[in-house]
Amino acid sequence: MIPEHKFINADNIEDVLRLLNENDNAKVIAGGTDIIPGFHIDSARFKEIELLIDINKIKDFNSIELADNHLSIGASSNFTQIINDPNVNKYFPLLVNAVSQIGSHQIRNRATIGGNFINNAPCADSVPALLIYNAVLEIKSIIETKEIPLSEFLLKQYQTALNTNEVVTRVKLPFLNENYSGKFYKLGRRRGVAISRISLAVLMKKSNGIIEDVRIAGGAVTPIGTRFTKIEDMMKGKAAKSDLFKEAAQKIGEQILELTGLRWSSIYKLPVVQQKIYQLLEEINLEMNSVNKNEN
Amino acid sequence: MKIKFTLNKKKVTAEVESTERLIDLLRNKFQLMGTKEGCSIGECGACTILMDGKAVNSCLVLAEQIEGAEIITIEGIADGEQLHPIQENFIKAGAIQCGFCTPGMVVSSYELLNENPEPNEEEIKEAIAGNLCRCTGYKQIIDAVKISAEQLRDSK
Repeated sequence: MIPEHKFINADNIEDVLRLLNENDNAKVIAGGTDIIPGFHIDSARFKEIELLIDINKIKDFNSIELADNHLSIGASSNFTQIINDPNVNKYFPLLVNAVSQIGSHQIRNRATIGGNFINNAPCADSVPALLIYNAVLEIKSIIETKEIPLSEFLLKQYQTALNTNEVVTRVKLPFLNENYSGKFYKLGRRRGVAISRISLAVLMKKSNGIIEDVRIAGGAVTPIGTRFTKIEDMMKGKAAKSDLFKEAAQKIGEQILELTGLRWSSIYKLPVVQQKIYQLLEEINLEMNSVNKNEN
Repeated sequence: MKIKFTLNKKKVTAEVESTERLIDLLRNKFQLMGTKEGCSIGECGACTILMDGKAVNSCLVLAEQIEGAEIITIEGIADGEQLHPIQENFIKAGAIQCGFCTPGMVVSSYELLNENPEPNEEEIKEAIAGNLCRCTGYKQIIDAVKISAEQLRDSK
């Protein structure tokens, strides 16, 4: 059952900010693919909502724009829009890869990028990809406009740093130079409409066989989507070789165990995650080598 | 609250409750029973309709959210009594057994063929991945979409 609530179709950001400021129990709704089934199953997470502010009609919230040093994605851009956007495809292909595996076609026609990380489920598929692209969020309230990295925004399962008077307006992805190569991997129980059991995103940049930068993030294997920065740091400046990839994969497994504790699924999941991270690193490395050879 | 929208190409108004979803509005107020409720949480696709030309689950849209939208249900896919070629081909290919998933399947296929007149098998599977069928095993449904794609291309 959908609980009774007040509902406002907002047509500009100023109204959204004012309404959020005046109502503590207001929630912004766009795609609704978490809130509405949440209402339906009587989820405790949405019980307090008194007012829903619909932002679907505000163009500024769902445009995808090129800026000088970043791509700016409106927070209520839906996944179909993102999948079809030429600039996201060109500059941030791992995000396209990740979000095209979310839910079903019907879900992707409604569900939004902002909703995905604001809901902050452990298995949110856009999160590992956004994390390795160093996504920064633009957040507005009636008082200020601020920017915060996604990695600081995500606090705990289903909890973020968003205050009740704030709304996320845009996701900014800084452009990478061309020497990066990466991969995204999702494991679900089946291919379509599957909640991720494991999701991984890896990005690497090499120069003369040495790893200049590497970024590794996981979802569904940690309480929230997580970057493995300690292991990334360990890898930087070292030769891109199988031994290093094995060591990194093993250490990531150890860190996951530290973060989540031993769970019933660990005995299966951990070796899979470790093997898959190792494989992804090897594959990226091989692909980069063959690209270099072709150029020479 | 009072909303205005387009339903199967007719302009309509409706008084909606905050507790109503789009599927409730369609079935209860407009008596459009072709749209089915299966899982109620966006997994089975039986309630698929077109909203502004896009296939969406009507169990995941609040009635309040469709102000100004163009909604097409399975009842709006046929041309009066004349079935749409996709519907004809579902019958011919044996893609209908119990029929519960059929309206959603047809609507998803309709959006696919609108946007991509020449889909390959993978693209057809992806387009209907959000529609569960527990009878056919999908083979006949995929065949029906393939034949429809050919027919619709030929008729253009």
